[in-house]
Amino acid sequence: MGERLSGDGVPGRRRAHPGGAVSDPSQVRDAAKLETVLAAVIRAGDLDPEAEQRALVAFRATHGTGAYRARTRRRDDWRPPAERRARRPVKLTFGVVFASLTLGGVAVAAIGSVGSSRDGAGQGTAHPSAVAPDRPGGGTPAASSGRPGPTDRPATAQDTEAHCRAYEQVKDRGKALDARAWQQLVAAAGGKDKVAAYCSEQLARATAAPSRPAGPGNSSEGAAAAGNATGGNTGASGNGTSGNHAGGTDNTDGNGQASDDKGTGKHK
Amino acid sequence: MGQVRQTRRVQAYDGELGAAVARAQDGDDTAFAVAYRIVQPGLLGYLHGFVGDDAEDVASDAWLVIARDLGRFKGDGAGFRGWTATIARHRALDHLRRQKVRPRPGGTEQDVLDLPGRHSTHEQALESLSTERALELVRGLPRDQAEAVLLRVVVGLDGPAAARVLGKRPGAVRTAAHRGLKRLARQLGVGGETGEGVTDEASRTLGEST
Repeated sequence: MGERLSGDGVPGRRRAHPGGAVSDPSQVRDAAKLETVLAAVIRAGDLDPEAEQRALVAFRATHGTGAYRARTRRRDDWRPPAERRARRPVKLTFGVVFASLTLGGVAVAAIGSVGSSRDGAGQGTAHPSAVAPDRPGGGTPAASSGRPGPTDRPATAQDTEAHCRAYEQVKDRGKALDARAWQQLVAAAGGKDKVAAYCSEQLARATAAPSRPAGPGNSSEGAAAAGNATGGNTGASGNGTSGNHAGGTDNTDGNGQASDDKGTGKHK
Repeated sequence: MGQVRQTRRVQAYDGELGAAVARAQDGDDTAFAVAYRIVQPGLLGYLHGFVGDDAEDVASDAWLVIARDLGRFKGDGAGFRGWTATIARHRALDHLRRQKVRPRPGGTEQDVLDLPGRHSTHEQALESLSTERALELVRGLPRDQAEAVLLRVVVGLDGPAAARVLGKRPGAVRTAAHRGLKRLARQLGVGGETGEGVTDEASRTLGEST
């Protein structure tokens, strides 16, 4: 046993020796005969019918009930290796596609819910390319155009607000709340059960400052935005900054052309 | 004899066995009986060489597990023989652990080594080989060799399948089977080295296994 196991690891002289014997046809014949004889005498000739009955009873006990199909563990899979390998990529591909669809769906849902709840004049007229570069700066377009701007509402507040709106959409959908953004939101609120209260407070604060962006300074932005009205519906990047400004007043309106008219009218 | 030939007789049933297993998985107990009758002789032979007289009990245990887990199995006839051999082996190891009995009773080797001279020809040596004698010889082998020989020759598994049952590399199993058969051949007086081979083997064996 043990002593033999170690012997197997040494492919030395003794292993080469029997290999040389293969060429001898009489030895090959003898070896084949030995194996045949061994198999014949060691394989059990007469089977015990009682043992077979016991096995059958056990079989009926589990399979007679029908609909018996347990999960195949790795050790139960004795298909040829090629077949086993071929099946794996299919599973893997399916898993990856499913995961990306799920995650993508959550992301789209979050974006969509934020956009639909606050789209209005501001968002409808905001062109993504005009706004997106400003985002890292934290709501600077207002500063550059000289209007008062949302100085009391830094970027994090806007994020919180966005998360709050999205939270209402996704909180009942399984693992969406595991994402880091939600964890931050929960942490900011101080607990999962306090998120609702926290969010309503945040949203109330957001809507309490509605009139400020309607100030005199944003005509240039408004004009630029008006030209791009049809593209404004892309949502995600548009709602981060300028969407907020007008959000309070034009909140419930639809997007597209109607809001564009309204926004333009308001700005001018 | 670098390549261990599997018993063609055993493998001839693989197609039938695979079909029977598939039907048994759908709940056909006649098919299960067919699979049982194809597999059991090799399985029992393997267990006889492994745990001796308790082979029937261990085989019964194994079949309870096989019947229970049949729905989990995936594979063809050859795969089914490997799968059932794995289950039987685990039952056998459990059994040995419970009994604290060494699978190979010591002291048989000397008797074994005395025997080849009784027969004048190879043919006689093989044709007069009894089941008891063959099992005795196999159980006289080191356990890894004995198991490798039994799985390859008696159960009829191919190299990779036997290796999977034993949880070893195919190369190690091939070597073990090869050595085991070589040794059996010498002990039975076949293999072309009869005359001088016996004493040579005797001294070598003693030197190796102690």
